[in-house]
Amino acid sequence: MKADQTVTLNLPATADYVDIVRLNLYGIASKMGFSYEDIEDMKVAVSEACNNSVLYAYGQEGGLVEVIFGVNGEELTITVKDEGVSFSLPQEKSDASTLHDKELHDVEIGGLGFYLMQALMDDVSVASESGKGTQVILTKRLTRSEEKV
Amino acid sequence: MTTNKSDKFNARTVLEEGKSVVYLSGELDLSVAPDFRLVMEPLVGDSDVDLVINLKDLKYIDSTGIGILLSILKARHSANASFSVAEVPTQIQKLFDMTGIAKFFEPQGNSQ
Repeated sequence: MKADQTVTLNLPATADYVDIVRLNLYGIASKMGFSYEDIEDMKVAVSEACNNSVLYAYGQEGGLVEVIFGVNGEELTITVKDEGVSFSLPQEKSDASTLHDKELHDVEIGGLGFYLMQALMDDVSVASESGKGTQVILTKRLTRSEEKV
Repeated sequence: MTTNKSDKFNARTVLEEGKSVVYLSGELDLSVAPDFRLVMEPLVGDSDVDLVINLKDLKYIDSTGIGILLSILKARHSANASFSVAEVPTQIQKLFDMTGIAKFFEPQGNSQ
């Protein structure tokens, strides 16, 4: 694929459309030559970003999620944007939390999504502005000499 | 959208000698989370019967699905009832390891 091309999806911010994002991701990432495992990792990360928009951006009224796949040679950048209420990030903690150092009775459900994005992508950046929605940018770089799809 | 949800995700319960085994297939994500909760609710509440979730044909799970498994773990643990997962695919095991939920399934997934 040539450098610096983009594919943009505009989807209703409902849970029913998140699998459409995964299908498109699969198509684009496999064209670029990402390994099966990298694609599976990106599927999880991009779905978590979309879940955040679906769950927290718009309340009852509904709205749109824009997903932009940026193909830059050796790098895939996926931007997930909404124009809703921004969600609060787990910034107080040094890192998004996992269950590793917890006992079952201390565990709280939720909060794993952001951790998974960070763990599964090379870069994650989140820009959130009050009244202007949230933008999550996920980046994965191609690593050579791996099994191709 | 008129997606047939059962094509996308399915949970089939089989009663085997004193235990309930729930076979999951397809993609367990936010869109089917309410359906999965509904299937699991009565099974989780029956603490006399061992509960196993078989993940052999599960293709995908997100943090919502992992969160539901976690809430089942908690409920079964406090009822002193057994709960385990079986035949976990590699990619899903990786997510269980990363998030840390894996340790609650050990050993042999028994919560005891």
